[in-house]
Amino acid sequence: MEKLLQVRNPDNKLKVGFYGITGCAGCLLSVIFNEDELLDLIKVVDLKAFPFVKEVNVDESFDYIFVEGLVADEDDLEVLQRLRKNSKFLVALGACSCTGCVPAYRQFTLKENYEHLLYRKREEIKDLQPTPVDDHVRADYYIPGCPPDKKEILNFLKGIAIGKEPKPYESPVCIECRKNGNQCLLDLGKPCLGPITAGGCNSVCINGGFECWGCRGPTKDMNLPLMIKMLRDRGFDDAFIEARMRTFVGLKMPIVEEFMKSKEAGGKLDTKFYGKKEYFE
Amino acid sequence: MPKEITLNHITKIEGHAKLNLSMEGGKVTKCELSATEGSRYFEGIVRGRKYYEAHEMTSRICGICSCAHVIAALSAVEDALGVQISEQTYKLRELLTLGERIRSHATHLYFLALPDYLGYESALAMAPKYGKELKSALAMMKAGNGIIRLLGSRDLHPVSATVGGWLKLPKQEQIDEIRKSLEQIRTDTVETCELFSSFRYPKFETKGKFFSLINPKKYPMLEGSFGSDGGIFDKSKYSDFIKEYHEPYSSANFVVRQDKRYAVGALSRINTSGKQLSKEGQKALKKSQIRENSKNPYHNNMAQAIELVHYVGEGMKICEELAIKDEKPVKANAGPGRGVGAIEVPRGTLWHEYSINSEGKITNANIITPTAQNLLNMQEDIREFVPSVAGRKKEEIIIQVEKLIRSYDPCFSCSAHFLEVKWA
Repeated sequence: MEKLLQVRNPDNKLKVGFYGITGCAGCLLSVIFNEDELLDLIKVVDLKAFPFVKEVNVDESFDYIFVEGLVADEDDLEVLQRLRKNSKFLVALGACSCTGCVPAYRQFTLKENYEHLLYRKREEIKDLQPTPVDDHVRADYYIPGCPPDKKEILNFLKGIAIGKEPKPYESPVCIECRKNGNQCLLDLGKPCLGPITAGGCNSVCINGGFECWGCRGPTKDMNLPLMIKMLRDRGFDDAFIEARMRTFVGLKMPIVEEFMKSKEAGGKLDTKFYGKKEYFE
Repeated sequence: MPKEITLNHITKIEGHAKLNLSMEGGKVTKCELSATEGSRYFEGIVRGRKYYEAHEMTSRICGICSCAHVIAALSAVEDALGVQISEQTYKLRELLTLGERIRSHATHLYFLALPDYLGYESALAMAPKYGKELKSALAMMKAGNGIIRLLGSRDLHPVSATVGGWLKLPKQEQIDEIRKSLEQIRTDTVETCELFSSFRYPKFETKGKFFSLINPKKYPMLEGSFGSDGGIFDKSKYSDFIKEYHEPYSSANFVVRQDKRYAVGALSRINTSGKQLSKEGQKALKKSQIRENSKNPYHNNMAQAIELVHYVGEGMKICEELAIKDEKPVKANAGPGRGVGAIEVPRGTLWHEYSINSEGKITNANIITPTAQNLLNMQEDIREFVPSVAGRKKEEIIIQVEKLIRSYDPCFSCSAHFLEVKWA
């Protein structure tokens, strides 16, 4: 950080904004939970907007805008479109923004599961299908994870401040997990999605004894048939496997359902993204 | 005198909310406080999922109190399936949520509330002049986050707590490390009390009653009956005495207790259980402006600061009592069953309820968050408070109203997904 402070011209700081649409504020909190670096960070970038912690938010001409949350109603969409228009780069911050996360799992559940929650809906604002931001606007960069590691956000900011092009982490969770010396949870019969999930999280859940649910999204070269076979071999039924794979990233996974219906774990894999069925209107 | 005040996006709160206020001749003719956060329908999403998946999913309701949702969900599932957790598990859960209580209060007090009282737009803008205070806040947040990371493996949405116990137990050295980290922020918490007791708060009394869990054994955290001087209720019967209803202008439900408004949170806990605070906590309470049964919602800031002192002492005590022994999570019985989890979390009482069938799948869920319970009281407080400042400039009214809203430490992310209407 010290070096960075010297490199960056204080009169020409990057104009940065952090906004939340529908979400849990966890990704925004992860920014300020960089307790040791936070006060230096604001010397490196010009924090134009951050309504979670700022009263005065100048909502124009950002270099980078970071968006937490997913699009769940018309309000979200309006804010998102405005932010996109006002920023050179838009960064999808966290699982909701990148993939829709748990709230978007609603698209894969039956309407009868939640229709009892819909009585007398708000009159003025319409719900939309829960969807990640790039369903609506272009996202230039993605910081995945629920939430992303706070240091990952910090490193992203440090990188852009010195003009470094951010690169996604593409190896599966297993690589970091091995390095951390964890016992393989699949070997213990747990439904761990580490082999098909992009790492960069330092296998934080498995370090804590908990199997990976895939919150950072699938790796580009994942072997879905083998993953499904491994889970079936461990006694998990297809409904369970499907639900797990879709909980965080269902909208960004190839069709799990159709593949599973093919009965053959080695069957033909359709890699097009899951279409948005109109379960919810 | 302004006629209309509309705050479309109230800043420095968790989540999104707006306020519509109309006045005529010093009287408030309309006052609508509403969550504008999109609905996420968590209670519907978990239906059909296994009982041991509920806490991992409902944790995502809220970042700042994800530990709270995890532990409330686990308690409810364990209640439904007759799981008795060990004393060690119970203490570790207390410690995990203590970490969260500390970081949540510190974040709210310094980053969301304090700028109003010092006349700044944000905590970050205070850095040049109030660097010491900010560093103190960040130290407390760091200690809280450190506890959560050591016990739950992550700062947010912790993963190591599971049904019946702990997936990966901390080592004894880590418990000692936690104790040391708490000791290091002791002075910070005392100074926080002094700071927040030094401000002048508007004179105002709410008409809502203050409720919290009441635990005869200790200052309420993970168990107790729900009560105040207005009566005490067993948690399993919560749906008989608190009801949710919906206003078309809000995406969050309003909650009433026997048709009356009420408040939950730090000041409620101090009011119901102040005598159970630690010695240091009692001392801080005495030095504050809170007198017995304070009805002033602005005092919630001081109440949170006092709790910081108490939680640090309580956390150190738990660390001293803990001698980690290896144990596996208790196995759950098969369903069916229905269970309720009620715990005190930074913003008040949090309720989770699940019904589980014989296949271990969740068939029904109900979640009531602290902010949903406070929402009506907040709105009515604003309605009753505004006439006392109606003669002032619009900007001044706004700042006083915002202070009032923020003093409740509302979390609209949490409250905005609960649209079940129960016709009482």
